[in-house]
Amino acid sequence: MEGDQDTSGFTLVTRKPCFGLPTACPNCLPAYIYLKLAQLPFQLAFNSTFPDSEELPYFESGTYVAYNNEDGGVIEKLEKDGIVNLDSQLQSLPDYLSLKALIVSWLEEALTYEIWVGTEGVCASKIYYSDLPWVIGKVLFYKQTYLTKNRLGLTKENAEQREKLIYKRASEAYEALSTRLGEQKFLFEDRPSSLDAFFLSHMLFTIQVLPETSVLRRKLLEHGNLVRYAERLKSEFLEESSSSPSPPLHSFPSSFSGKGSKPKSKPKTEKSEEEKKFKKRARFFLAAQFLAVVIYVSVMGGGSSDEVEYEDDD
Amino acid sequence: MANPTENLDPNPPTREPEDEVEELNGDEGEVEEEEEDDDEGEDDDAVSNPQSLKTESLFRRMRSSPVPVRVHDVIVKGNTKTKDHIIEAEVDGVREASTLQELLEASRVANSNLRALDVFDSVNVTLDSGPPELPGTTNVIIEVVESKSPLTGQIGAYTRAEAKSSSVEASLKYKNIFGYGDIWDGSVIYGCDNSAEVGMGMYLPRFKGLPTPFSSRLYLSTQDWLNFSSYKERSLGLSLGLLSSKYHELVYTVGWRNLIDPSRSASKSIRRQLGHSLLSALKYTFKYDQRDSYLRPTSGYAFSSTSQIGGLAPDSRSLRFLKQEIDLRCAFPFGFYNAALNLGVSGGVTFPWGSGYQNRPSSVPERFFLGGNSSPVCSLGGPSALWGFKTRGLGPNEPKRKGDDERDFIGGDAAVTAFADLSFDLPVRWLRERGVHGHVFACGGNMAKLTENEFRNVTAPKLLETFRTSVGAGIVLPTSLFRMEINYCHILKKQEHDKAKSGFFLTFSA
Repeated sequence: MEGDQDTSGFTLVTRKPCFGLPTACPNCLPAYIYLKLAQLPFQLAFNSTFPDSEELPYFESGTYVAYNNEDGGVIEKLEKDGIVNLDSQLQSLPDYLSLKALIVSWLEEALTYEIWVGTEGVCASKIYYSDLPWVIGKVLFYKQTYLTKNRLGLTKENAEQREKLIYKRASEAYEALSTRLGEQKFLFEDRPSSLDAFFLSHMLFTIQVLPETSVLRRKLLEHGNLVRYAERLKSEFLEESSSSPSPPLHSFPSSFSGKGSKPKSKPKTEKSEEEKKFKKRARFFLAAQFLAVVIYVSVMGGGSSDEVEYEDDD
Repeated sequence: MANPTENLDPNPPTREPEDEVEELNGDEGEVEEEEEDDDEGEDDDAVSNPQSLKTESLFRRMRSSPVPVRVHDVIVKGNTKTKDHIIEAEVDGVREASTLQELLEASRVANSNLRALDVFDSVNVTLDSGPPELPGTTNVIIEVVESKSPLTGQIGAYTRAEAKSSSVEASLKYKNIFGYGDIWDGSVIYGCDNSAEVGMGMYLPRFKGLPTPFSSRLYLSTQDWLNFSSYKERSLGLSLGLLSSKYHELVYTVGWRNLIDPSRSASKSIRRQLGHSLLSALKYTFKYDQRDSYLRPTSGYAFSSTSQIGGLAPDSRSLRFLKQEIDLRCAFPFGFYNAALNLGVSGGVTFPWGSGYQNRPSSVPERFFLGGNSSPVCSLGGPSALWGFKTRGLGPNEPKRKGDDERDFIGGDAAVTAFADLSFDLPVRWLRERGVHGHVFACGGNMAKLTENEFRNVTAPKLLETFRTSVGAGIVLPTSLFRMEINYCHILKKQEHDKAKSGFFLTFSA
C-alpha cells in the first residue's frame, strides 16, 4: 500500500523491491522487464500487503487496468489490447512456442520449487511477508508452502523423485536455451520479445535472490553464455533507471553468500536494530498495559459503589 | 449479549413485608419476632387480626421515619450449580442497608439484578427475622430456581453500532455451564448492509472481581460492498468487552482483516487498499441517553462519544488509526397531538498515525459513509444515516475500472450530518392506538477527505457549498421488532454522481 509517484501515464503495480531487484517477486519481474525492453516509460508502485493476490502485477493507465489473472497474464493482455507488443510475428515461429513452454512450465516450476521447498522459503519470507504483521505473515507463509507442494504434486513418498525430475528438466531447459542463444543478444531475431523478459526475469532472480547453496543456481551458472546474456540485458535496459550501477552478476556469488561478507553483515545490523526497536516497543507496550490495568483497578475499585446504583434509574 | 443493566424489571415479585418482615417496636428499641411464614404460605387467617394490626403499625412507622434494621446474613437457596458468590455479588446493596426502607429497595434491586443474569427461571427475595439473640437484625433469603433447559434459541432484530445498520440475528445460548452465570452463545447475523457474521461468544457477569460484566466474542464476518465500493471485507477476530455499564463501554478488538475485489472492477484508491491487515484497536464509548423513548423520542436529550485507537500492538505493521465520533440528540415536546421536535447532529473524523501519517491514506473500512435505509432519529453511532440518499451514496468517489460506468464511493475522513424531525399523532384513532404516527423532516450532511495532505484544501465555505440536503414527510410504523418509516423525500441539494433522487423510501431501525 505504498503510494505511486504519478496519477497519469502508465503505472505498473508490483510487489516490493528486494535483493537489489526493482521487484523481487518472480511473477512481477517479467512484466517489469517486458516494459523496460519495450522502452515504455512507466511508474512503479508497490503493494506489499497482498502476497496471495493473483491479480499482481497489474498495469494501469487512467481507468484502464490489465490484471495478471486475465487473458493469460499481464504481458499477454497488454499485447492483446495493443498497449505494447514485442511478439508481433514471432508467435508463428515454431521455436517460439516450444521455448515459451520450456520457460513458463519447466523453469517456472523449478523456480517455484526452489523458492518454497529447496531453500525452505527463506527468501520468500522477505519478498512476500516482511511488510505484513508477523502473525498474518506466518499463517500466509505456511498456507502458501502447503499449496505449492500440492501444486507441484509433492508427497512424502515421491519428494525425492520429484525433486530429481524438476532439477533434471531445469538442466535440460538451460542446455536448450544456451544452445539456442549462443552469443546472440536476444533469443529471437535480434530483437527483444516476451521470452527474453520471462527468461531474464528467471535468471536475475535465480542469481541474485537464491542463496549460493541453491542447486538451481549452480546449474544455471554452469552456462557462461546465459550469464553474459543476462548481464548485457540488465546493464542495457534495467540500469538506466537505477541511480547506481549494480555489481556484475557473476560476482554476486561472493557478495550474496551467507559467509559473513559486507552485504550479509548489513542485513544483520539492520535486523539487530529492528530487533532492538521491536523489543523497546514491546517493553513500552507492556508497561503501558500494566499502568492502564493499575489505574483501572484503582479507579473502578473506588467508583464501584456508584456503578451498582445504576439499576435504580429507569 | 444480555446486559443486566438493561433488562431490569421495575416490579419484581418481591415478597410483601407484611408476611415475613420482623415487626420492630420503635418505642422500646427491641424487636419482637414474628412467626416465620413458609414460602408456600401458611394460612394467616388465624392470626390475621393481631398480625394486620402489627403490620399497620409497622407501615405507619415506616411512613413517618426510617426504621433501623441491620442485615445479619444473606442466605442463598436453590442453587445447585450456580456458585454462591455469583449470586451474592448481585445483592451487595442489601448488606449495606441500614433501614427497612433501604432494605426493601435494595431487595427489589437485587431481585432485578438476579433476573437479569438470565440463568434462573425464578427469583424470590424474602426478609426473615434474624437470630433471637441479636435484636434489630434480619436475614435476607434468596431463593432461586435454576433454568431447567439451559439451551435457548432466539431470533431478533438489532441495531449494532459497529455495523451502522439494522441486522437480524439468530442465536443459540447455553447458560450457566460452569455455574458462574456464564452464557455461551453461537450466533449467525445477517445485516441490512450486506454483511454476514458467524460468531461464538461468552458472557460472564463477574470476572475476577471486576464490577462490570466481561464478554468475549470470536467472529468470522464478511461485508460485501462490491456494488458500492468494489471491495469485500472479510474479518476473523476476537472482541473483548472489558467494561460495560450504563454509560461506559470499553471494547478491545484484535482481528485479521482482508479486503478483496473478486469483481476486478475497483477504482484506483480501492485497488491500492486491497490486501491483509491486522486490526488491534481499543474503543471507548460514552453514552448518555435521557430521552423518553428510543424509537419515538418526545422529550429529553442524548449524547454519545466514541473514541477508537488502532495499532495497539508492538508490531508497527498493524493498522494504525484514530477515530472519533460524536452524536447529540434533543427532543422537545409540544403540547398537542403528542408532537415533538427532534434535533440531532453527528460528526466524526478519522486519521492514520505513525511515521509518514500525513502522506498515508486512511483505511477504507475506517472511513465514514453516509446514506442508507436507517433513520437518523434512532441511530446513535456516528454520522451515517441520511434520508433520501442511498447506501454509500454520496461523498468522495472515483470511476471504476474502464468498461464499468459505475463509480466507487471511497468514503471520507471527516463527516457531519444534521437533522430536524417533527413527529405528531395522526387524526385516525386506530392508527394512534397502534403507535403509528407521522413526521416531517429535513436533513443534511457532507464528507471530506483529509489524508494525503488533502486537509489543506478543506475549508468551511467549501464544505457548506457542497452540503447535501433533503426534506420530506412520512409515516412511522413501530413494530415489535423494528421501527419502519415510509417516507417521501425531496432532494434539495446534491452533488454530481450522488446516488439520490426524490421519491418514496423505506427505512428500518431496530
